Amino acid sequence: MTTRPRLRDPKTFVPGIVAVALFAVMAAVFVGTNFDVATGFAADANITATIGYALMGLLDVSGETAVESEGFLAAFEIIDVVLVAALVGSVMLADRELLGGDDE
Amino acid sequence: MAVPVEYYLVLSAAVFCTGLFGVLTRENALMFLISVELMLNAANINFVAFSHYYGNLTGQVFSLFTMALAAAEVAVGLGIILVLYRNFDDIDVRKATTMRW
Repeated sequence: MTTRPRLRDPKTFVPGIVAVALFAVMAAVFVGTNFDVATGFAADANITATIGYALMGLLDVSGETAVESEGFLAAFEIIDVVLVAALVGSVMLADRELLGGDDE
Repeated sequence: MAVPVEYYLVLSAAVFCTGLFGVLTRENALMFLISVELMLNAANINFVAFSHYYGNLTGQVFSLFTMALAAAEVAVGLGIILVLYRNFDDIDVRKATTMRW
């Protein structure tokens, strides 16, 4: 007998109900909230350049077409360290020779 | 003209609940990782939507940091899945309930 994916899998039925119920609650809250009209960005705003200036913490020199933002230089450097740590950690996990792998 | 912010929020809720469903039901660790990514990206949609809503670019810049954190998480997660496969000959998350040493 072939097995095909079934929509009514009893194993996934309860989590499905949970997920759909959560979506229903959140959607009801979002639709029921009164939001203003979005402010949006000016037509001549240079969004990409502003992101670059914000990442480097150089919003003072960003010029006229920049959008309002905050500087993120410290977060940028910290995320740099985190990425290097994650890379080293994954290599350490994947390396058979070092600890962290299996015990063969 | 602009899309109301509620629609972005509903889309984000749908993506988040898809990820939640995946986390609750999947047995394959890779599908697990993909589901976690879906939940993270739902947060990114909210960041960008409210960035446009308030006319302030902080949300967009912050969503870039969220993506970088997601990349770091995937790097470590894939390393863990590799070790999981080596120790259990499978990437079924249910088999790793008792960690052997």
